[in-house]
Amino acid sequence: MLEHIEVALQRPNFIAFVVLFTWGFFIMVAHPNLVKKLIGMYLVQTSVIFLLVTISAKKEATVPILQGIDAVQSATHQIDPADYTNPLPHVLTLTAIVVQVATLGVSLALVTAIYRKYGSLDEDEILKRIE
Amino acid sequence: MSYHLPVIIFLIPFLTAVCMPVVGGKNREWCRPMAVAAVFAMCVAAVINLWAVLDHGETRYAFGGWSISTSLPGSPIGIEWVNDPLASVMLVALSFLASVCLIYAGPVLPQSLGRRVVLYYTLILILISGLTGIVFAGDFFNIFVFLEVAALSAYALVGVPGGRALVAAFRYLLLGTLGASFYLLGVVFFYAATGTLNIADLAQQLTDRPELMTSKTIIAGSAFMFIGLGIKMALFPLHGWLPGAYTRAPDAISPILAALMTKVALYAWVRIIFWVLGARAEIGQVHLLTLLGILGAFAAVIGSLLALIQQDVKRMFAYAGISHIGLILIGVSQGNQTGFAGGMFYLINDAVMQAGAFFITGAAIYQYGARTVEEWANMRGRSPWMTGALIILAMSMIGIPPTGGFFGKWHIILGAIEEHNYLAAGAVVVATLLTMAYFQRLFVSIFRDSQASPSGARVEMHLSLRVSVGVTSVAIIILGLCSEPIIKLFRNTAASVGL
Repeated sequence: MLEHIEVALQRPNFIAFVVLFTWGFFIMVAHPNLVKKLIGMYLVQTSVIFLLVTISAKKEATVPILQGIDAVQSATHQIDPADYTNPLPHVLTLTAIVVQVATLGVSLALVTAIYRKYGSLDEDEILKRIE
Repeated sequence: MSYHLPVIIFLIPFLTAVCMPVVGGKNREWCRPMAVAAVFAMCVAAVINLWAVLDHGETRYAFGGWSISTSLPGSPIGIEWVNDPLASVMLVALSFLASVCLIYAGPVLPQSLGRRVVLYYTLILILISGLTGIVFAGDFFNIFVFLEVAALSAYALVGVPGGRALVAAFRYLLLGTLGASFYLLGVVFFYAATGTLNIADLAQQLTDRPELMTSKTIIAGSAFMFIGLGIKMALFPLHGWLPGAYTRAPDAISPILAALMTKVALYAWVRIIFWVLGARAEIGQVHLLTLLGILGAFAAVIGSLLALIQQDVKRMFAYAGISHIGLILIGVSQGNQTGFAGGMFYLINDAVMQAGAFFITGAAIYQYGARTVEEWANMRGRSPWMTGALIILAMSMIGIPPTGGFFGKWHIILGAIEEHNYLAAGAVVVATLLTMAYFQRLFVSIFRDSQASPSGARVEMHLSLRVSVGVTSVAIIILGLCSEPIIKLFRNTAASVGL
């Protein structure tokens, strides 16, 4: 048990991810307010993106642009990948953020339309008015 | 030329969607011909593509010439689209159904749309191109992006009629986004374990390093992916969004959503199981396919049970779709060629049947305002052709030869018996009996001999409704009559992934 906790503590980013994800999920499920549900959804999406970014981090590595002597000798010399962080997760993250923004736009439009129609953002209230 | 076909097929609806607001903003009546012409062109290109693939074998399209197979081993650079027989058959079905759905959509579009009809056609074309992307994608992240492209346009389209549809669309959006997040989480796990996103490369790494298959990362990743795609394909306990969204969506949209959205998500999952994880994959100590078979059996039985108790006909067919997803999963999870071929054949059949079912319900609402089973009595004696189409549809859903549904179910049952999996075969039979029961309710309502027979002149159906209902009915029969070559093709596909 103790060793499991020790292993977990060595990966603070995983703990942060789990906290963010479950927190967002809980808000999504438990809150009756539609905008709060959206905030929960945003947290869930952000937590996954956060995990994606953190796994690309490396100790003592720098941004993935050839620097110093590497920039001059890149054609002839082997470059040590340990010197640079992995750029791919960041690129994936950018795409995922675009998707997230688009989802948020559509969902806010839907919430606005629901508010105009039913005059409320409370889920129970809206369901009552539908019946 | 034939090498570039996948991209051309994708670009036809996509570029039309981009041009649509520019052209349609000035001349609103051009929108529909433009959209229909685009999907017809896509249909033709898809058929040529199928012919080319069957002739020359599978091709891999490398974007910008960055080919995975020529890059350094272990560090694949580039994005690939896989154009194999399975993808090209799916694509023919997809583009065919998309064109029928667009023909159908014209007269039943809500009048309140007005000028926004331009945006409607733009969104539906983006939905179609998103689905095309999922079918071709050879890359986990590509599947995610295209899933979201298709889903975002679907959320907006479901909400078109306003009112209760907005609430249904919002629920669909919340659950759909949750599903996409789970899927992306699975992708992150796979990437963390292997450092690649390409399906072929991943499969290679998983066979080269068998210890990966038992690592917690891959197990958790595939579990998360399955939950995400399970929400997208409305697998039984995760189906919450589907009935509301399909029932409340405008009648012009429900057919295309019902026919394609869940099926394409299921297709993506089939790709992941058989092309990446392999048929013998295990989650923990549990054999993955066995687990899927059990979930599928539950979905098949409970979905049709729920369909039986519905009053609203659209909702009834929505639950029927949930039970069909279960049937397909039962077939695919048997782990032999017969089951796989039956499942995939049933998937294509189900896409056609669901489109047909929602065409008929939409036409019933459009012509007679009939939503519930009781109101369908209004159709009595007034639309013989629609009733005929409904009978063909019922034959296929129940599984009576010579319709396509029979051959799909037959091979699913044969596959289950081959594996001595009598529970799965029993689930298919029970689902069939329940299907008979809910169609019985519909036919009793239509044919009941009562004094209060509604007198009313026969209403001529709108031409495009007649065409689309007729084409799907003919397609159901043709799929049945030509089932042998298609099933043989799927058997070969199954053999190529080692079943």
